[in-house]
Amino acid sequence: MKTIAIYSIKGGVGKTATAVNLSYLSSLLSQPVLICDLDPQGASSFYFRITASKKFNSDKFLKGNKKIHSNIKATDYEHLDLLPSDFSYRNLDIELSEEKKPRKKLKNNLEELSEDYRFVFFDCPPNLTLLSESIFAASDIILLPLIPTTLSMRTYVQLKEFFEVNNLDSTKIRAFFTMVENRKKMHRDIVNEFCNDPGFLSQTIPNNSEVEKMGIYRAPLNAVLPDSPAAKAYSNLWKELSAELSE
Amino acid sequence: MHTTKTIYLTVTPPEDSGLLFEKLLHSGWRLKALSATKEQHDFYDTFEWNAFEKDVVIVKSKKSISLVDLNTGQETDSTAFKGNPSFFFPADLPLGKLKERLLSYSDIRAFIKLCSITTFIQSYHILDEIEKTIGVLTSTSLYVEGSKKEEPFASLLSLIPLRGYQEEIEKITHHNSLGTPLDFKELFLFIMTASGQNVQGYSSKILLNLDADASIHESTQRLLQSTHSILQKNEHGIKNNIDTEFLHDYRVAIRRTRSILKQLKGVYDQRETAFYLNAFKELGKKTNQLRDSDVYLLQQETYYNFLPAFLQLSLKPFFNDIAASRKKLHKQFCSYLASSDYQLFLHKWHKFVYRDSLPDSLQAPNASLSTRVVAKGSIKKAWKKVIRHGRHISSETTDAELHALRIDCKKLRYLLEFFSSIFPHNSIIPVIRKLKELQDNLGDFVDCSVQLQFLCDRLNAMPPGEKECFCAASMGGLMATLFQVQEKARRKFHKTFRSFDNDETAQLFHDLLSNTPS
Repeated sequence: MKTIAIYSIKGGVGKTATAVNLSYLSSLLSQPVLICDLDPQGASSFYFRITASKKFNSDKFLKGNKKIHSNIKATDYEHLDLLPSDFSYRNLDIELSEEKKPRKKLKNNLEELSEDYRFVFFDCPPNLTLLSESIFAASDIILLPLIPTTLSMRTYVQLKEFFEVNNLDSTKIRAFFTMVENRKKMHRDIVNEFCNDPGFLSQTIPNNSEVEKMGIYRAPLNAVLPDSPAAKAYSNLWKELSAELSE
Repeated sequence: MHTTKTIYLTVTPPEDSGLLFEKLLHSGWRLKALSATKEQHDFYDTFEWNAFEKDVVIVKSKKSISLVDLNTGQETDSTAFKGNPSFFFPADLPLGKLKERLLSYSDIRAFIKLCSITTFIQSYHILDEIEKTIGVLTSTSLYVEGSKKEEPFASLLSLIPLRGYQEEIEKITHHNSLGTPLDFKELFLFIMTASGQNVQGYSSKILLNLDADASIHESTQRLLQSTHSILQKNEHGIKNNIDTEFLHDYRVAIRRTRSILKQLKGVYDQRETAFYLNAFKELGKKTNQLRDSDVYLLQQETYYNFLPAFLQLSLKPFFNDIAASRKKLHKQFCSYLASSDYQLFLHKWHKFVYRDSLPDSLQAPNASLSTRVVAKGSIKKAWKKVIRHGRHISSETTDAELHALRIDCKKLRYLLEFFSSIFPHNSIIPVIRKLKELQDNLGDFVDCSVQLQFLCDRLNAMPPGEKECFCAASMGGLMATLFQVQEKARRKFHKTFRSFDNDETAQLFHDLLSNTPS
């Protein structure tokens, strides 16, 4: 099982679109894939038209294995399941702080799933908290979508620094540019500056209105409009990432 | 791995199940039709239902064959499968888990096509109020392939909930007018019944529940009816050359029939039984060589493994000869099975075993004795005979002595099996187990002895020549190995017999014969 966290301190950078499309693309390999919606806003759950059962909440999530297992739901796509988010996840950090070894909690809780799934994607909430640290420990790759702007780039630096200060393995961080608008000079300059940086994937995702329309289709872009520029870019991004994962 | 449980419902009378179902969906839910398909499913099992016994269904669809768990309906293994054979052997399948599993169910029996079912399938996605797919509804009409009826024998709805939606789907199946819920096992049995299959309808074992107080004549009639039925049931498999066990069971039925007539004295008019004893003896003889050929051909691999590689190849003509002669013997025996002589004999025998009236008391003085009395008496007599003859076996342990004792043991074993149902299970099983140990030892010995004699005869009949020289060497190698195995069994005999002829085993027999049978 390979675990990939789609993470950013900043909101609105296309985390959910990335998680939904990459998880869908990986499921096309006929290998079981799980997407864990960890964001209390539940955007990826919404995209897949899935709501958590009334009995499911952050408490159950923290109990792990069996409780998680029984709350996983199938998406409309073969080989792709989802663990929906619940609004109670907004308290996950507080509850996590009361647990023993909170940083290892997520990793331990998902142990049982390793036999069931080839890939697990985490759609993460936009902050840097104890839950984020637990996600970092549980992930093989931390995929960082970045809009090529100054503020966004700052979050990349901040994350790198956080990893160094806390003695975490920063080679897990793989950044890529998203919502790229080539007509903007700043976007072009930043992409050019970092295109050869070893911490970055080379594929970028263009700013495409079709991505926003995923909220209307409530389906992965690659499932409904596979020929759109953004869908093609996600497809290439997955190819690049999966090649790294199989190394 | 997580699996959801499919729900099956039978719909009576058959109608457009899709429309019927749509009426019943929760408000706001809808069905989205998928493409309609036609499929054929062929079901396989051995004649003795070895897979079903292990809760497994073998089904061939399109170009693959799958094993399905009878309790869950989930496919557990699958492999590519070409053609549409009326039977196949697991040994012919590609290497893999499925092959291994089938071999573990039976490495000797053929897997025979039980029936072919044609299905017309219309599937739908069940969408909830937010257009999320929560399950798949499949409406299936089932037809038995080759049946003259134009109507399907069943209409089914199967509901496969998507993971996480089991509860929602189960709720809608509670509606009364939708159909009768079935689990996969019930569905399988339903299909088998519709296609005329009698699931687990065959066993080579005597599975009667005899009444200890009934007359021995009544019980022997039932026993003979049972062996008669086994005889008949195996004819088809022999004629169609399906696997070797049809002939084997056929021969066991002959031996059991003779054993009943011969060992239970005074139950029938001896003048009448003499005719049948002889007729069955002759019938058995007609199968001897054919069975011997089967045994050698089944042993091929073992024989090859007995020899070094450079001698293995020269054994091929030996087996080719056996295979060719088997073909002739099989043809001969099949002609006999089809002959009016055989049909008339069977007809006569059928009348005999289904005759209700008791034979004349002067000619059959024991016919009205209770089954209990005769069973105990005959078992005791046969047991004592084994002990007496076994004790007389000299330190040389000659072939003839061991051959004779093997037959005594077989007679005792048959009696124990015939009457096992009138004794408490926990009394009869240890006795049979003890006897089996002795029989295994004697069986090893006699098998080697017969094979050695067969090889020796072949060797003597071989023409001299350079080509034959290697074949003779291979046979010499085989004979040396078989001799070693035989001598090992011979050396083991006295120890094995002591374990049978001791206080512990005697006590088991006393317990059995003194217990009031149930």
